[in-house]
Amino acid sequence: MKFLHTSDWQIGMKAESVGRMAERVREERLEAAKRVVHAARDNGAEMIFLSGDVFEDNAVDRLLVRKVGEILRAFPGPVYIIPGNHDPLVPGSVWEHSVWKDAANITVFSKSEPVELDQCILFPCPLHEKYSTKTPTAWIDARDVTKPAIGLAHGNVEGIPNGEPDYPIPRDAANRLGLDYLALGHWHSFARYDADDGACRMAYAGTHETTKFGERDSGNVVVVEIAHHGTPPKLTPVKTGRLDWRTVERTVDQPQSLEAVIQELGKLDPPDATLVRVIIGGVLFPEDRHSLVRIEELLASRFLFGSLDTSALIPAPDGEGWIESLASGSFRDAAVKLRSQAAQSANPEERAVATQALLQLFELYERSRA
Amino acid sequence: MILHSLRVANWRSLLNPVELGPFSDRLNVIHAPNGTGKSSLFEAMRRALFDAHHVSGEEIEAVRPWGRSLAPQVQVEFIQSGVRYRVEKTFLDGASAHLFRFEEGKFQPLADSRNADSKLREIIAASDAPGRGLSKHEHWGLSEVLWAPQGALHLDSLSSSVTENLRAALGVQLTGESGSRLEELLEERYQTYFTKGGKPRTGKQAAPILALESEHDAAVAERQQRLEHQQRFEETSRAVEDARQKRGQARVEADALRDAVAQTSKQAETYLLLQSELEQKRLTEQGAKERFDAIGKSLELIGNTREEITGLEVKIRSSETLVTDLATEVKNTANAAEEARRKRDESRRQRSSLVQSTAEVEDAQAFVDDNKAHQALAARIEKLRRFETDLKQGKERRTALVAPDDKTIREVRKNLTALEKAQAALRASLIHLTVKPDKKTKIHQRSPNESQTVAAGKAATFSGSPEVTIEIEGFGTIQASGPEGDAEANAEALREAESKLTKLTQPYGTQDPDRLQLLREQADELDRNIKQLEEQSSEVLDEDSADELNQQSAELLARIRERLGRFPTWEKQPPTVSDLKSALEKQRKTIEATIETAEDEYDKAQSAAQAVEKRHGKADGELKNARLNLEAAQGRMKDLTKDGQSDAARANARQEALMAWEAAKTRAKECETKLNEIPGDPQKDLQKLGRQLKALEEAETQARDEENQAEGRLQTLAAEGAYSKLAACEETLADLKSRIQRERLRMDATKLLYDTVTSCKAAIVAAVAAPVERTATHMLSRIAGPRLGTVRLTENFVPAGVRPEIAPEPVELTNLSGGEQEQLFLIIRLALGQVLAKEERQLVVLDDVLNATDTGRLARVLNLFEECADRLQIVILTCHPERYRGLEAATFFNLQERL
Repeated sequence: MKFLHTSDWQIGMKAESVGRMAERVREERLEAAKRVVHAARDNGAEMIFLSGDVFEDNAVDRLLVRKVGEILRAFPGPVYIIPGNHDPLVPGSVWEHSVWKDAANITVFSKSEPVELDQCILFPCPLHEKYSTKTPTAWIDARDVTKPAIGLAHGNVEGIPNGEPDYPIPRDAANRLGLDYLALGHWHSFARYDADDGACRMAYAGTHETTKFGERDSGNVVVVEIAHHGTPPKLTPVKTGRLDWRTVERTVDQPQSLEAVIQELGKLDPPDATLVRVIIGGVLFPEDRHSLVRIEELLASRFLFGSLDTSALIPAPDGEGWIESLASGSFRDAAVKLRSQAAQSANPEERAVATQALLQLFELYERSRA
Repeated sequence: MILHSLRVANWRSLLNPVELGPFSDRLNVIHAPNGTGKSSLFEAMRRALFDAHHVSGEEIEAVRPWGRSLAPQVQVEFIQSGVRYRVEKTFLDGASAHLFRFEEGKFQPLADSRNADSKLREIIAASDAPGRGLSKHEHWGLSEVLWAPQGALHLDSLSSSVTENLRAALGVQLTGESGSRLEELLEERYQTYFTKGGKPRTGKQAAPILALESEHDAAVAERQQRLEHQQRFEETSRAVEDARQKRGQARVEADALRDAVAQTSKQAETYLLLQSELEQKRLTEQGAKERFDAIGKSLELIGNTREEITGLEVKIRSSETLVTDLATEVKNTANAAEEARRKRDESRRQRSSLVQSTAEVEDAQAFVDDNKAHQALAARIEKLRRFETDLKQGKERRTALVAPDDKTIREVRKNLTALEKAQAALRASLIHLTVKPDKKTKIHQRSPNESQTVAAGKAATFSGSPEVTIEIEGFGTIQASGPEGDAEANAEALREAESKLTKLTQPYGTQDPDRLQLLREQADELDRNIKQLEEQSSEVLDEDSADELNQQSAELLARIRERLGRFPTWEKQPPTVSDLKSALEKQRKTIEATIETAEDEYDKAQSAAQAVEKRHGKADGELKNARLNLEAAQGRMKDLTKDGQSDAARANARQEALMAWEAAKTRAKECETKLNEIPGDPQKDLQKLGRQLKALEEAETQARDEENQAEGRLQTLAAEGAYSKLAACEETLADLKSRIQRERLRMDATKLLYDTVTSCKAAIVAAVAAPVERTATHMLSRIAGPRLGTVRLTENFVPAGVRPEIAPEPVELTNLSGGEQEQLFLIIRLALGQVLAKEERQLVVLDDVLNATDTGRLARVLNLFEECADRLQIVILTCHPERYRGLEAATFFNLQERL
């Protein structure tokens, strides 16, 4: 049998870090959902398993619920969903929406009990509250089944660094419970858990579209193929995400270093699907001030979203020729004082303000000479 | 610049051309009385140097001499940077400007008209004047500092160009090359965000951050609202869940209770049946008991009635005997009571004899009283009569005694004194001739004509006036004479005195005042006696008249005689009232005792009669009652025995009823035992359970309602899509925060830059202004002593105040005296002038200054002038040339002499 494992669509999520592009980012998640369905169809998946957190919250706009329902309804095979910790099965949840009853191919599991299908036996673990220290898979016992046993669960696999303590799932849950595959949800990057025999019987598919800067390997679904009960499943990640959340972090210590950043930004493609966060630290040389302005312009004009963080950038302690070019007097004295403050103040905020003040003086100086 | 000469014509009061110069390049004093035109000279020089020749307007029109259409003209010769120039300007009509330069021993034209104006400005480094208007202080260049017009010695501010020039002269670079532009740009940037006071701009030109913060605040408020909606959604979700659990629990509990209700209901049915059976058996028992009781009661009644009939018959017989006896006794007691009443009435009639005795006692009492009153009245009348007799005699004696009053006596004494004085005066005025013959001699006096014989050795005196003439026999006539007139007047006065005395004393028969006094005392004694008698008579009368007393006496006597007519024995022996009263009281007591005894007897007899009559009535009533009761008892007996049964038969029936009662009691007990085997009252338990079930069903219904309501709310809230709205709001908020952060960084940076530049500038100014401050301080100390301390300048080189050593804080200019203020402004100008004169001598013009400076300080100021003249050309305009005579090296110009 072959099926598509996906999770954590987080439809309706907020995207504070991208400012006015948040709505666009949300729309992209719906588009990515359509690509999931296409991927399932294109890869010959018989069914789709959604392992929780389809929605960011139970109080998302009901129009979004209907849209998701309609997208999944377009899949020719069955779709099996378990509510996750973001959209637990509680009164008023998204799962009470009529779209789920209208779509005959969609099943939203409300109970933790085995469900036997033609091809396999499912062990769904729907969540009924946002937080719990219970192990959602604890009830599963698939050791005596003859069909492929597939579990659907949402939680933290024990041992994940900085993992939250709720809904713990043992690292060997699939083997211990006799499952052929445990389709996990909760973490946004693809992650597989290989057993001692080298077979991978449990994995996080990750979110189908990257949600923020810094995610390791998100924007995928997993196509899983199981020959029959007991044989190791074959996992094939398929890219479904379109947005490229790119962080460019550089520390400059030589003049002209920012040119490389500009070139790198120029290579990012497609720019209309790229969100860029540029963080520049180190030393700012006078001749690079124009490069900094160009970077700002590029970020504002070329990409879907761009941000520039120069709070860790300080003016070069020497080589500020323009300061020397100021005639002796109050402005030169002030420039020297600000440069010293920008470089030596113990308070990062004071350093940033002093740097900005020096930049403003430079700008005014150039205007006065124009 | 050094002023060489000055020529002015048609300028205000300076109608005719006037020329001053050549000026000394050190000290010059131009003096003239007020109104002569000193300040006009200064004004003309300024206009020539700084104003365009073609200026127009009211100000320049005012320069024309009053009432004349003359064009003001001025010519100035000066030296600048070692070159000598001459400028000639005519204003208004035929306005013109000519600039000359001294070359090869003479002035050669350098520029004309507007070119002359601009060239001149270039030479003296003045800034451009405003168009066709007149120049102001700020257009004078360095002269703004060095030239002090009349009444404007103070320095409140300096134009920026002058300040810059000063700084340049001081070697100060505040803003560097292109610094002014940079400063302007910084100022412009700063004022985009802040006011000059350093506060964020508000209003139409508010700093952008304010709008962002306003949006941010609105977004925060909206977020709060969205968050509340989101929380309400989650709470409602939980409420639905709770209501579902509540409803489920209520349903389970209700099902369990329904089973208990069914069992209890069955038990209650059995209980009800047994209760009904027991009630029936109790009724049967009660019926048997009542029958037993009824038979027993009938037997008892028959026995009692029988006894009652027997008793009544005995009673009737004894009552009949008693009634007969009592009727006899009633008659006897009535007779006895009648007799007692008769005796009582008889004794009461004795009371009439007491009335006569009482009247006699009262008459006796009145007789005695009237007698006493009559005797007292007679005594008063006798006494009154005696007083009247004495009074009559006293008044007669008083009438017979003529006595002078005190005034008359005083008059007599006065006239006696006058008489004695007249007699003495008369005697003194007479001529006395005393003859003592040796032998008996007859002597005849002619006036008065009388003769006497004088024995031998005896002296005889003859008096007369105005002469005394005696004839002595045998001897002749002797005549003695004296002054005429006095004796006669004195004799007349004597007569008059005697006449008055006689007239006063004539009624009393004596002129002796003592005797007259004695008469007066006798008369007073009689008056006192009369008055005493009158008072005594009045006392006896006591407001009555003598006639009234006599009338009262007559009335009393008449009453006495009337009673003696009725009681003649009282004539010889007056009655003793107390004895009569005692006899009367004794008689009264005897009669009252008799009456009281008779009344008691009557009351007793009457009571006895009534008691017997009452007993008789009562016995008669009892007899009648007994007869009626007997009749009733006989009737009842008839009813009780009408069944015709015997007493034995009735006893048997009673025994049978007792047995039936016992049997019914046993059956009821058996039923009650069965009922007691059921614990409690199942019916009550059933009711309680029913109520519990109903409450549970209601709770279930309520939980269902709550669930439905909560679900309804939940659906509404879910439809709102609270999270999506919250997300959008938080995204907006984050974006605003980011923009505010950037904007704040920008503002903070601008402020930091501005403040840093300002503080650097202040530090530089403080450093470079120090030499000027030191020079000024030194000068001020020389003039005013060390009291005022050091001089402080602003960054624009105008005085800010002084800092006395003893004062903790600087002292502002306004707190200095008027004299010290003008001295401070003067030395600041001189100090700055010295700085400016480092490269070239400069002209200092002081128009009528130091008017508030005292003589002592002025002398010190003059010393300063002389020292400063090494670097400065000083021109002083004054109307008090004597104040500047101390300037030995100065050149004095008397303007008035030159007019």
